[in-house]
Amino acid sequence: MASKRIGIEASLAIAEAVKLANTDVIAAYPITPQTHIVEGLAEMVANGDLDAEYIPVESEHSAMSACLGSSAVGARTFTATAGQGLILMHEVLLVAASMRLPIVMAVANRALSGPLNVWGDQSDAMVTRDGGWIQIFVENGQQAFDQVICGFYIAEHPDVLLPTMINVDGFHVSHVIESVEMLDRKTVDEFLPPYKHKYVLDPDNPVTLGCFAAPNMYTETRKALDTAVRESKKVILEAWKKYGDLTGRYYKPIEQYKADKADTLLVLAGGYSENAMDTIDKMQSEGKKVGLVRVRLWRPFPHDEMVEALSGASNVIVFDRAISLGGPAPICSEIRDTLYSVEKRPRIASIVGGLGGRDVSPADFEKIFEIGLERIKSRRADETYMYGVRE
Amino acid sequence: MEKGTTIEIRWHGRGGQGAVTSAELTALAAMREGKYAQAFPSFGPERRGAPVLAFNRISQDTPIRIRSGVVKPDIVIVLDPGLVTLINVVDGLKPGGALIVNSTRSVDDLKQEFSGDWKLAVVNASAIARELLGVNIVNTTMLGALIRATGIINMESLTEPLAEKFGARSKSNFEACNRAFKETAQDKITTTGPKKQKSFQAEKLPRWNELLVGCAVTDVGNTKRFCTGDWKSEHPEWNDAVCIQCGICSIYCPEACISEQSDGYFRSNPFFCKGCGICAQECWTKAIKMVEGS
Repeated sequence: MASKRIGIEASLAIAEAVKLANTDVIAAYPITPQTHIVEGLAEMVANGDLDAEYIPVESEHSAMSACLGSSAVGARTFTATAGQGLILMHEVLLVAASMRLPIVMAVANRALSGPLNVWGDQSDAMVTRDGGWIQIFVENGQQAFDQVICGFYIAEHPDVLLPTMINVDGFHVSHVIESVEMLDRKTVDEFLPPYKHKYVLDPDNPVTLGCFAAPNMYTETRKALDTAVRESKKVILEAWKKYGDLTGRYYKPIEQYKADKADTLLVLAGGYSENAMDTIDKMQSEGKKVGLVRVRLWRPFPHDEMVEALSGASNVIVFDRAISLGGPAPICSEIRDTLYSVEKRPRIASIVGGLGGRDVSPADFEKIFEIGLERIKSRRADETYMYGVRE
Repeated sequence: MEKGTTIEIRWHGRGGQGAVTSAELTALAAMREGKYAQAFPSFGPERRGAPVLAFNRISQDTPIRIRSGVVKPDIVIVLDPGLVTLINVVDGLKPGGALIVNSTRSVDDLKQEFSGDWKLAVVNASAIARELLGVNIVNTTMLGALIRATGIINMESLTEPLAEKFGARSKSNFEACNRAFKETAQDKITTTGPKKQKSFQAEKLPRWNELLVGCAVTDVGNTKRFCTGDWKSEHPEWNDAVCIQCGICSIYCPEACISEQSDGYFRSNPFFCKGCGICAQECWTKAIKMVEGS
């Protein structure tokens, strides 16, 4: 395999991945902190480096609508958005999933208004959780690059045919220039077969897509879609195995960091996992039995892998970068649900933080461990704790 | 009505014929009598001319909680004569129940169509409505047949709901209702004797795992099989002696089902004509007349 390590902003690494995937259509509307991705792509198309149709649109609703149309004619399709843009797309987002159109989208995760805030958290991804998209979280530029390429493989696989979202933390990942190992065109071509959908819009072979379902059909359509999302995990695992064999970088639905002998596990998704790794190193060197569990695959939810990763520990601290107003934090509530059927299950503390771009440093994660354990000990773990809020 | 019982009514009409209004008026009248009552349409997008349903539940003394459709009605009322041969109007009709039909046919003739332990009531409501209301909208007329055949509400209880709904036109509607009350003929349907009851095929629906990816539909042009021509209660007839072969009718036809024949005159395709009457309205020479029946 030919590869080279270069210094590049994560957003532009994503654009490079889209270029290497020979994407046919990009329809996007610029929105912070995603803008650099589509700016990069627009430049590539304008300079003739990427033979694709770049459709500038007037809103994200239109962006996703254009993507839906292009994917439905059998064109490999990419878009990117963030925060409010993802929310504005929402209607078409769900239609793309129900029509089984394998659009790949990078989301530079951003807080939701109001108040207006352009900085990072994962509220946007959580709001779209139930819409039928495959969702993958990444932690750095390398993973962002890799998962966009894997994303096309997964989304377009004939057994999957589902839109796929790559969640990249806004700013803390998207805007960081770091070293990324790129692949060459030949390697990507070898990995990624051409996109062929069984049912495409073609005047010579007409089909009807995206039609109507009355009460006597709708339940069946949802069962079919739900099954497709659940069963996509097989292909996700296959894609990650193949990609690992090709690049040496293997991915798993739930990834652990020094968690084998841990008594207390911290669970989180996205870029702050890397901060938390420093915390684990420090605390383990002090003899503390802590470890880290990272959520890579969010939809379909990797139930078995989550049980396996967590059921050996005594305490689990789940750190959510999103808040469910008036309810349990999203990742934590799913973990609680997952562990309910496990006979010997750990105690769980739910902590929410890092909202709207507020930094969570390795030192903060040390405090988060402390607070989590204290809350488990004092039996206040059921309540969600908001980290770093001024009282 | 007996205490503790709930009577369920299913109305069969076509979009635009006012079945929903019939059900509403029935419920309002029942509630005026101190009964508990419910009226609701079949939920969904309704189209003019398409077969539609409306429902009632009426209880003497018990509040009604159930919000599901009526599947085992005590009373079935059919507003459009054509529906009797088009859909299974007696589906689920309880033994001892009543079937009330607007038809030009006699009770004796119509009862050959059905086999069951039911009462049959027939009235030519279309004729009454045309005479007294000037239009073939029989929703208020058929209330008279309902009252005559079942006594589920009293005629007087309708006065105020009709006045509220129709204002100045309530008088003629009330008159049509009364006329139907007088002219409704009744008999018992039996399970014996000569029967020509039609059998209706249940729609076969796919299982979830039989759906194509993304619910794609590959049998192109399948809407042609959906012969919406049976939505009509009137159809156009051409007087070729007056026709100037201008083709305006075919241009205005919203269904695009009027075409020129080899002799230069125009005709509608009965399988898709919904009997909207736009062709008759637009015809310059008044060569088109809308005629009852499909």
